[in-house]
Amino acid sequence: MTVDQLSTTFAALADPTRRAIMARLAQGEATVNELAEPFPITLQAVSKHLKVLERAGLIARGRSAQLRPSRLQGEALKEAADWLAAYRGFWEGSFDRLDEHLRDIQRRPRA
Amino acid sequence: MTDAVTAQEITITRVFEAPRELVWKAWTEPEQLARWWGPAGWTNPLETISMDVRPGGTFSVTSVSDTDGTEMTSQGVYREVVEPERLVFDEPAENAWHEGAVSIATFTDLGDGRTELVLHATIHTTDEMRAGAEAGMAGSLDRLAEHLS
Repeated sequence: MTVDQLSTTFAALADPTRRAIMARLAQGEATVNELAEPFPITLQAVSKHLKVLERAGLIARGRSAQLRPSRLQGEALKEAADWLAAYRGFWEGSFDRLDEHLRDIQRRPRA
Repeated sequence: MTDAVTAQEITITRVFEAPRELVWKAWTEPEQLARWWGPAGWTNPLETISMDVRPGGTFSVTSVSDTDGTEMTSQGVYREVVEPERLVFDEPAENAWHEGAVSIATFTDLGDGRTELVLHATIHTTDEMRAGAEAGMAGSLDRLAEHLS
């Protein structure tokens, strides 16, 4: 996974509602209405979560039907579940920025 | 299959062009942590950062995606704080997508104005997580789902 994909995946799975939606979809495809049922949140909120999951490549949504049932994307989940790679990616990305930050503050010493 | 939790370890080593005290401060002052925590493309609003840098103290950082405003929060507890050479912290499972991780950051003064940072992380995962990852099939996904729920 690239750093961009990793950060998208991180964001997608960081939210407990989205993890619960993933869990529900693992039992079979479902519509927005069906997905919203167990949660005390609006359909709009569920749609927003689905968009995040879709963008992360973790789910796919039907194009033709108005209901647009969602289902899991196995391959993406496989990559997402590569915890170690994700963890390493988080830190490698952070350290790149730390390196930049340390150079920056030494160039412009604070009073 | 049992739900055994297994530890996996990774070590990341970096040399920074900065004295050890500076690197330590970058890790322990919110204003500085905000500048680098998380991969590129994420911003850490200062008001979301809380850090109580002492053994047993907690930290919390919320990162916001520059692309779409999505938030992710990193939380944990400091276990060891030995200024300016060693920082040990736990990240509990409920706030992350693993079964908990313990990280040890070691700061070594290289004597020439540079600092070597070694991050050694022990990450706990379950058989279910790995089985789901490896098979990617319906049965495994059910198990993964069970775990995620």
